Amino acid sequence: MNYLKQLILSCATVVVMGCETVAPWDREVLARPEMQLSTDPMGDALFEQVYLSKEASAGGYKTAGGGCGCN
Amino acid sequence: MKKIDPLLALTTAALSLPVFAGNPPTEKEISLRASSYKEDDISKTSVLSGSPERYKIDKTHFRLLTPIGSNWSTEINTSQEVMSGASPWGTFSGSDEQPSLIMSGATIKDKRTEVGVSITNYQDNASYGVTLGTSHEDDYKSRSIGLSAGWDLNNMSTLGIGFSFSDDDIEPTDAKKFGRIQQAKKQTRSFSVSWTQIINANSLLFSGLTYTNKEGFLSDPYKLRDTRPDKKSEWAASLKYRIFIDSKNAALHLNYRLYNDGFGINSHTVNAEWHQNISLRWKISPRIRYYSQSQADFYLDADDFSLPKTVNQSSDHRLSGYGAITAGIQANYELSGWKIKVGFDRYISDNHYGHDSSRYSHPALLDFNLTSLGIEYKF
Repeated sequence: MNYLKQLILSCATVVVMGCETVAPWDREVLARPEMQLSTDPMGDALFEQVYLSKEASAGGYKTAGGGCGCN
Repeated sequence: MKKIDPLLALTTAALSLPVFAGNPPTEKEISLRASSYKEDDISKTSVLSGSPERYKIDKTHFRLLTPIGSNWSTEINTSQEVMSGASPWGTFSGSDEQPSLIMSGATIKDKRTEVGVSITNYQDNASYGVTLGTSHEDDYKSRSIGLSAGWDLNNMSTLGIGFSFSDDDIEPTDAKKFGRIQQAKKQTRSFSVSWTQIINANSLLFSGLTYTNKEGFLSDPYKLRDTRPDKKSEWAASLKYRIFIDSKNAALHLNYRLYNDGFGINSHTVNAEWHQNISLRWKISPRIRYYSQSQADFYLDADDFSLPKTVNQSSDHRLSGYGAITAGIQANYELSGWKIKVGFDRYISDNHYGHDSSRYSHPALLDFNLTSLGIEYKF
């Protein structure tokens, strides 16, 4: 759990340190498809299920959702 | 870079920037993805009996995303998997103490059908979603509900929360014949919170935390001896960093996840992807992933039949300490609303790759290939 605390603290520090204010008309780059958090939802779902069923770890990005007999 | 019309840039940003919760999709998307997953066979010298041939899974996935009016959208996902191959039943220790496997025959065949429907409502600075899902296999049925919400804060960040509940029924095949449990239940409750922050005009950071609680039958009913606790809590924290590099006309994606659970397993996962624009139509994305986990508290290198069945033990390779590397590449081609995606990934695992590995490398540790072909259309 110490790892978790350090990670949360690091994230909070980044936020608290402040970021550059980016006006809506300066967000052309952030709006590009390759800059999205998920550029390929179906591909992400495929890998998520493969790793969920073949490794012990899951989660971190969103809730667990439905179950399957694969794990 | 070429000069961008400010009004066009503003419109593009406002319509497609998902860091903002209040932006509904403006186009319909219809997608089809076919994938082939194939595990390498196990070395015959590690198999005492059964088949060394491992799993092959062919999957077809259909997805439809469509706006409904100006404030709603719906997403439908359906997929079908066809599985065949053999899986480990037990692990035994040989004269040299190296573990060997009892495998099933290569006659396991199953089919899984999954359906999920999501509805999302969008407000000025928020979105609220509900997802209903079901998954059906011969020996496993699952019904789930998910709730999610997101709020735009100070125009630079988004707070997201989520909850899901899954109610699962387990009915192992040939239960009477092999003395397996005939019916069992499992329930999963999961909570998430996330924060997405715009750092500057070229980068953003996502941080997420999930807590999942599982209760019920968590053992593997097909193994000769596998007894696990009937409760498990899981914590996972993650970071996703995105940065666009103007000079390369490419985006770098970096992901990290830290995981810890009540079985005593902790893991680290690091991903890196490079999204290179070749032209307006072509994009190439090489990617690499490193994964490492420690073993469960009750993991044994080989099954111990002298222990009472009530004592926790498992020799499942997925509960051993090991590491894994995935390397892959995806090519995208886009033309007039159509998009074609072709991907290939190779996964290899070994206990020498891990940060806190088990004493012996489990003979069932996986190597596999994953190939996919997708087509998408926006209109």
